[in-house]
Amino acid sequence: MSPTSEGAPDSGRSERRHAALDSLMRAAQQGDRRAYHLLLQEVAQRMRRLIAARAPWLGQADIEDIVQDVLLSLHMARATWDPSRPFMPWIAAIARNRLTDHARRYKRRQAFDQAASDLAEVFSTTPGQSHAEGVVNLMSVRSAMAGLSPGERRAFELVRLRELSLAEAAQQSKTTVGAIKVAVHRASRKLKRAINTGGEESK
Amino acid sequence: MKTDALIDSLARDAGPVRPLRSPLRRIWGWLAIALAFASAMVWAIGPRPDLAERVLEARFLLEQGAALATAITAAMAALALTMPDAARFWRWLPVVPAVAWLGTLGLGCLRDWAQMGPAGLRLTPDPECFVYIALIGSLPMLALVLMLRRGAPLRPSWTLALAALAAAALGNFALRLFHMQDAALMVLVWQVGAVALIAAIAALCGRAVLRWPGVPA
Repeated sequence: MSPTSEGAPDSGRSERRHAALDSLMRAAQQGDRRAYHLLLQEVAQRMRRLIAARAPWLGQADIEDIVQDVLLSLHMARATWDPSRPFMPWIAAIARNRLTDHARRYKRRQAFDQAASDLAEVFSTTPGQSHAEGVVNLMSVRSAMAGLSPGERRAFELVRLRELSLAEAAQQSKTTVGAIKVAVHRASRKLKRAINTGGEESK
Repeated sequence: MKTDALIDSLARDAGPVRPLRSPLRRIWGWLAIALAFASAMVWAIGPRPDLAERVLEARFLLEQGAALATAITAAMAALALTMPDAARFWRWLPVVPAVAWLGTLGLGCLRDWAQMGPAGLRLTPDPECFVYIALIGSLPMLALVLMLRRGAPLRPSWTLALAALAAAALGNFALRLFHMQDAALMVLVWQVGAVALIAAIAALCGRAVLRWPGVPA
């Protein structure tokens, strides 16, 4: 049972794969270590993909941390699975629970780090920047914001200033995570360019 | 630790496990322990002398029935909260008996007032209720926590609060079999108040008692 290749999901096929997980877990509960090993690998693979898609800002090490946490939780809770019921909703409930806990811990910090590093890029990073310089920079950011398209401005506001996750921002602006990511990236680049040229003009 | 190494070690020491049964099946074991302990306590302290008359009163039976039903459904809800794919229906189960319990006591207050006037609603300190409820609830609580720790700590605060509600409601059920206090307001404030306080304290301890492996309290 190898990890799926990314492709158009075929519902019949995914049902079969889910049934395969059910029988692996059933065997694992009966003490079949090989089945359990396969199951854990499959879950790890799926979780890795899911987390990378949902939280693209996380580093490899953070993703592995969460994957391992889900595996440990699965291990601890494996007696709570009812073999007469499907495995997927069960593991999904555990994963959701663990992700929420991690999100609480990581999201604020990560979002903050990211916003800080963006701001550091956007603003000049000269140490000992005075308040006045900060205000001037803020004003130039405001004027630079005017040069963004409405979509870019909205994406930048939601993700960088209001610190929503990409998924939340995508949901609010009724678009995809990819589109938000691109818009934020473009906005950052435009702002940086605008402020750099503005800064040079004022010199 | 590398994820692959973790998978190897988890798979290596994974023996067979017996799947936990549904809350409906598991509740009976707990109920047997809890009722046995509560009866022993009532017997040790001595039942109230007017118990034979009381058990013929509809109002007393209704209040006691609602308290016992609250205990049983809260224990089942706590067990269900530790099952990742349990239906949401379980967690709302205690609402009906709990509302019935508060409702019968609330109506009791009105009746006391109608029958006795302001004297029927007199509130005097009765702090020993808390001690008795906590004492009688202690062993049922311990038994339930041991059962809950076999499950998954998905909602630790709610789970432990419901477990404490179950144990304390059972404690209150037993208390009224030896404690001569039937004024509805007194029962509502001192006894149901003690039950609520115990559940609230348990909610605060949830994350310390029920937690995932590798997660600091």
